[in-house]
Amino acid sequence: MKAILKRELRAYFTSPIGYAFLAIFLLVMNLTFYFYNVKNSFADISALFPVILLVFMVIVPILTMRQFSEEFKLRTDQMLLTSPVGVWGIVMGKFLASFAVLLLALVGTLTWPLIVTMFSTPDVASIVGNYAAITFAGAAFLSLGLFISSLTESQVVAAITTFSAFFAIFLLDTASANYISIPWVRTVVGWFSLFSRYDSFSRGVFSLADVLFYLSFCGVFLFLTTRALEKKRWS
Amino acid sequence: MIEVSGLTKLYGKKKAVDSISFTVGEGEVVGFLGPNGAGKSTTMNMITGYLSATEGSIKVGGLDVLDDAALVRRKIGYLPEQPPLYMDMTVDEYLDFAYDLKKASQPRSAHLAEVCKMVGLESVRKRVIGNLSKGYKQRVGLAQALIGNPEVLILDEPTVGLDPIQIIEIRNMIKELGKERTVILSSHILPEVQAICERVLVISNGVIVADDTPEHLSSLLSGEHRLALRIAGEKEKVLDILSGLPSVQRVEVGAERELGVFDYTVESAVGSDIRRGLFFALAEAQCPIYMMKPLDLSLEDIFLKLTADGDTASPAQTEGAAAGSPIPEQPSVTPPPESAETPAAADTPVEEKAALEKEESAQ
Repeated sequence: MKAILKRELRAYFTSPIGYAFLAIFLLVMNLTFYFYNVKNSFADISALFPVILLVFMVIVPILTMRQFSEEFKLRTDQMLLTSPVGVWGIVMGKFLASFAVLLLALVGTLTWPLIVTMFSTPDVASIVGNYAAITFAGAAFLSLGLFISSLTESQVVAAITTFSAFFAIFLLDTASANYISIPWVRTVVGWFSLFSRYDSFSRGVFSLADVLFYLSFCGVFLFLTTRALEKKRWS
Repeated sequence: MIEVSGLTKLYGKKKAVDSISFTVGEGEVVGFLGPNGAGKSTTMNMITGYLSATEGSIKVGGLDVLDDAALVRRKIGYLPEQPPLYMDMTVDEYLDFAYDLKKASQPRSAHLAEVCKMVGLESVRKRVIGNLSKGYKQRVGLAQALIGNPEVLILDEPTVGLDPIQIIEIRNMIKELGKERTVILSSHILPEVQAICERVLVISNGVIVADDTPEHLSSLLSGEHRLALRIAGEKEKVLDILSGLPSVQRVEVGAERELGVFDYTVESAVGSDIRRGLFFALAEAQCPIYMMKPLDLSLEDIFLKLTADGDTASPAQTEGAAAGSPIPEQPSVTPPPESAETPAAADTPVEEKAALEKEESAQ
């Protein structure tokens, strides 16, 4: 797993992908911070975190699109799958590498609480809770992207499909909250509600149930990724 | 070292590999020979654990490739048909990655240096793989297969796409490596397998149709029993002479190359040499020979013959014999082609065509 993690991290930063992800994320989010907080002299940054989710929706596909698709295209999956590293090791290595880049992006936003602290007394618990929650939510986004990447050898198809999946979840979330009244449909939609699950955190409530949701979502899609790789063996 | 038993692989309804069984002893260098799509790569992928078998079992060093996957994979070095290379890495970075991936236990820098020396990569270790020539890329692929000193090397068409000099270099390299390891090598080029391997498994349509030594296969292909001729003289007269020679089993007539000069292909029984008798018989009939050239049987011919009597001949039936004489028992005469094509272009395999064309251009 360590070998794959190292290789993936290196690949992110020897290609434009890692830099593009970080640049787009930090540019968009810092501009949002500037216009929403700095310009309005507003100390509460918790409203920025749901925006991060929307940015993730657009840029996580950049991070995950090549993870398995490129391996299939270059046939380097043959090297990985015939090595003593198991399928879980391969999947976790790739997942942790993308997670590390995502963490790096989030670290880049730590300037917000620092700036806010200089001019006011922010709610530290809320900030910590939001950072923890956005980290789990980010992991869930990555796991879905990784899974979709394991289904195709085209990076473009992987990116578009991942974005479409996020967008569909976003639309379902919105529809579920406003237009769907049938309870069981709302329940089913709730299983995938990456966005509305974040509501409690942005209200300053640290919901363990929602953290568990993100972790379970992540676990399920990592498991499905291992199955997708195993399926290649058997097909 | 490798025991394959009743191995079958289905892709949907198509049987890519059909219940094949064979063993490879320790230190043996075995060639897997077959045309594209015969099932070579599928079999190799199953041995390495990249693909799972639909039926059957594979043991490497007594360990099952599915039940003891991690242990088996440490014993195998695999070079797939397309080397699994990351084009953005330098050779050193890539081999370092392969070392970690394979959980090799040898001292890192000494082992990597040894592997690079073995395959002649010392001068390009700092270069990005994407910028290397195809030959060097193949060497890098071979180097990653050697990392961890695996007991078994599985090489899928290791010389495909290389130029003649690179082919010779890679062949020599494999020969050296085979001195200390069990090697399975696949190819669709017969001379390559002959040059490297002690034993050849011929696979066609997912079935092993011959399991033999290269020497035995080679004797079948020596060419003494198949001659390309260009003879001046009346066609019927020449045909009578050729068909009447002892051991001749088939005569094909080609196009008229010059006025009264025809091309002929003569096949005789395996092991026979009709050249001397043919020369004197034609000389006596005042039919000068303008060209006499032994024709090697192509691999395609061998496959046709090996599978002619039943597409699913069992290994036991064909053991030793690429053997079965492919050539009809009675002499037969084939008329010239209708088209203006040369006999070579009309009805001969690619290698022969190339040989004849070369000959023609030289004339």
